[in-house]
Amino acid sequence: MSDRAPAELPDHVDVLVIGSGAGGATTAAVLAEAGRDVLVVEEGAMVRQGDVVPFSLDQMDRQYRAGGVTAAIGRPSIAYTEGCCVGGGTEINSGLYRKPPAAVLDRWRRHHGVADLTEAALFDICDEVERDLSVQRMPGAAIGASEALRRGAERLGWANEEIPRWMTYTSADVSSGRRQSMSETYLPRATSAGAVLVSGHRVDRLVRRHDRAVAALVSDRAGRTSTVRFRDVFVCGGAIQSPALLQRSGLRHRIGRSLAIHPTVKLTARFDDALNVPDDVPVHQVTEFTPDLSFGGSASSPGLIALALSDHWSRFGDAIEEWRHLAIYYAAITGEGRGRVTAVPGLRDPVVTYRLTRRDAALLNRGLARLALVMLEAGATAVYPSFRNAPIVTARRDLATMQALFAITRVSVMTVHLCSTVPMGGDPARSATDSHGLVHGTQNIYVNDAALLPDAPGVNPQASVMAVAIRNARRFLDRAPS
Amino acid sequence: MKQERGESDPPTIVLPRMAAFPPPRLIAAFSDRVIANDLPALPDERRADVVAFAVRRIAGLPTFMRLGVGAVALAVGAAGRLVGPDRLVAVLAQRPILVVRDYVRLVRSLSYAYVWEHWPATAPDGSAGE
Amino acid sequence: MTARRADPDVTVVTGAAGWLGRALIAALSDPAGPHHRSGEIRALVRHRCDAELVVETATAVGHTASSGTRLVPVVGDVRTEAGLGDLFADLADQGAVDVIHTAGVIHPRTLSDLVEVNARGTEHVAAAARAAGARRFVHVSSNSPIGTNPHPDDRFRNDEPYHPYLGYGRSKMLAELRLQDEVGRGLDAVIVRPPWFYGRYQPSRQTSFFTLVRTGRFPVVGDGRQRRSMVYVDNLVQGVVLAELVHTPPGRTWWIADADPYSINEIVATVKAALGDAGFDVANRQLRLPRAVSRVAYALDAALQRSGRYNTQLHVLGEIDQTIACDITVARRELGYSPVVGLADGMAASIAWCVEQGIEL
Repeated sequence: MSDRAPAELPDHVDVLVIGSGAGGATTAAVLAEAGRDVLVVEEGAMVRQGDVVPFSLDQMDRQYRAGGVTAAIGRPSIAYTEGCCVGGGTEINSGLYRKPPAAVLDRWRRHHGVADLTEAALFDICDEVERDLSVQRMPGAAIGASEALRRGAERLGWANEEIPRWMTYTSADVSSGRRQSMSETYLPRATSAGAVLVSGHRVDRLVRRHDRAVAALVSDRAGRTSTVRFRDVFVCGGAIQSPALLQRSGLRHRIGRSLAIHPTVKLTARFDDALNVPDDVPVHQVTEFTPDLSFGGSASSPGLIALALSDHWSRFGDAIEEWRHLAIYYAAITGEGRGRVTAVPGLRDPVVTYRLTRRDAALLNRGLARLALVMLEAGATAVYPSFRNAPIVTARRDLATMQALFAITRVSVMTVHLCSTVPMGGDPARSATDSHGLVHGTQNIYVNDAALLPDAPGVNPQASVMAVAIRNARRFLDRAPS
Repeated sequence: MKQERGESDPPTIVLPRMAAFPPPRLIAAFSDRVIANDLPALPDERRADVVAFAVRRIAGLPTFMRLGVGAVALAVGAAGRLVGPDRLVAVLAQRPILVVRDYVRLVRSLSYAYVWEHWPATAPDGSAGE
Repeated sequence: MTARRADPDVTVVTGAAGWLGRALIAALSDPAGPHHRSGEIRALVRHRCDAELVVETATAVGHTASSGTRLVPVVGDVRTEAGLGDLFADLADQGAVDVIHTAGVIHPRTLSDLVEVNARGTEHVAAAARAAGARRFVHVSSNSPIGTNPHPDDRFRNDEPYHPYLGYGRSKMLAELRLQDEVGRGLDAVIVRPPWFYGRYQPSRQTSFFTLVRTGRFPVVGDGRQRRSMVYVDNLVQGVVLAELVHTPPGRTWWIADADPYSINEIVATVKAALGDAGFDVANRQLRLPRAVSRVAYALDAALQRSGRYNTQLHVLGEIDQTIACDITVARRELGYSPVVGLADGMAASIAWCVEQGIEL
């Protein structure tokens, strides 16, 4: 599975799958295993697990779009990350597996009119995914930073859970863990079943004749172009690239207009124990305030710690010398606000904007303060919230100062979850695709990734994306037997 | 609902030097000053590495962000020539102004991540630890 | 079943002439009531005329010289140590002494009162209580140190980070912090946080509230779906007494409120219905204002307070679009607290009391 020159791209396939992440890989596997002739075109490169240090700048260079420096413009701007590699976001995310909550599925059915989305059917698919990805809890004890989060929540009586991950372990030692990302699971299944995977190639535009797409214009890194013709196409580029590609192809109805995210703010906590583990992430989450607010741990390598402290370096900088005693935690909300993805003619990348509402800002403020309280209860000797002019929090009374000084335009807000830019739904006036991902007004253009989810699920979305993608791919097979 | 019938989108707007905008020189100069201001004791060699990294990353930004950063860089560069770059950066680092603030923050975040990933024993003022 | 201490021999109640204070005095001295206790009740009041009011309150519920409770009003001022006077005098051989501290000011005449009475006052009473060997100290705090909820579905958990709402909130936060300092020095003190109260003994501001609702002039800001926890006075008395008598470690805090928060729409509708049922003329119309009005009022309130001044109406208008809602699960579990009276019954009882007192609504 290496980069191929355009001359080697097949010029005609049954199904073109664009993108090889959680949506693309599952789609390719389901269709290839059913005997379809599938080509997967991935913009990014193939990077094997173990070739890069997780959460390092090198990984960001090789497996993230734009080296990890992407942002939705707004007041404040919100930094986000997009996978850009074989396997997409699944190669770089925390690996935490959370089923779509029943209340979210219910809302998608009732408010967005998504048909045929019963809990039972979807959870059956989740069971399959859990087996295929070896979803499991860690052997042995969680890392110190994870245990601290659990301990603080327990002391407050706040609901918390250890979240399972898609990992295999060859021994009881947690460092033997191997991420069951798409490049380890569904993509090899797809290629074993005959799918062709080409990396390092970007689909610039779909060529349409009336309501059908007939070909894709593809270019490689050197700028050489070619054309691939297909019968059906699945656009699985993720919540930013999928709407951009559709817009470049002349499709605009409800596309790129309802970007939903999980706005996230962070803090760094200092402990007496040297609990920092630079290349792993806590598995515990505090679920007390579901669905609006959740807390968890973030990657805490020294570079990331310095970044987290940089909002108020003049006061926080000294802490970097003790990075082994520091860990970064996050408070994430289900955003009420929405954003936009707009492809601009002549520019390679779409413009992304996002607007937080007043309620989002208030919830982020109190959320971060509640998280700081958890860390104090966990025994943190100091907490450094990531916003400009933030105080160092060492006692409960400092939480009042922290909330008073929090002003959303001064805060480093980010998100790692993006969705809903090509939303599926039962009402054509309010959705971009039908209940199974077929773009309205077209016969053969499907979307099958996080862009389809009608709104942000309030939990790590990969499981939802995969379950929906498998459901849709199977429906496609039922509807259009070859 | 109707989809637009176009088979191709409007001709690409060609800005001859867009791919090279903003000029690395400009980014390098500003980044160098920001880092020198924030981490005064960072050895020159290391600062040069960090600046090179920042320039590379900024060159890889999504187009619209790169253009925005470039516009700010031009304005800041011009202001620097009027006021003197060190003084300008000292002011901006303490009292960031809106859009410029985002630019400073971008350079800062890239630099800090790089310094402590590569040299984790670095002291808060940039001096080499151990 | 939560383990309880026996009634104390002496109960010191500060703020005895206030809304909660009178309700407590009545509950503790009502010979037929569930909270009746024999022994001495020392009632701290600010003014001599308040001392008479306290005695009348007890008499009105059937307290007599021979009903087993000895009611001793003490005139004093919490703002200075000396001001407490004889409140804690001669307690050495009296047995167990509990303190219920309700003295406080919500809408001050001058802003310095907030810190003087709420923060320093608490410090003085708590220190004196500890020196006198008090068995248990219940401090009546407020929702104000915690602020407002970020959205209508959010509920304050039992433990929340401080986010004090302006001057009053800061003074009550300071009071809690100083109380926790005394806990650190050995005082067995706990904190009860009640939200907006309603019920018998209500002050004139609550009467104004009823009149405004009746005439349709109480402003419903925004869509009226913002939620407010409220607490009927009898529920609060129950909660305070449980906090006093149930065995728990010192330093605990509990929300004491009615079972669930009510939306502003619900509150206005319920009060209108209760007034109508009691025979009052209730206006059909209802004043509705956009949220922006509250945001502006809040900004003005904050600016005014920063300049050392205070205006009650502006303050209330600035808060009325907010959600202030708490979850009482922990109080239920740790204290056995169980609010019995709900909004409709509580409002009916409050209105009946006003009528009985000859108060014009």
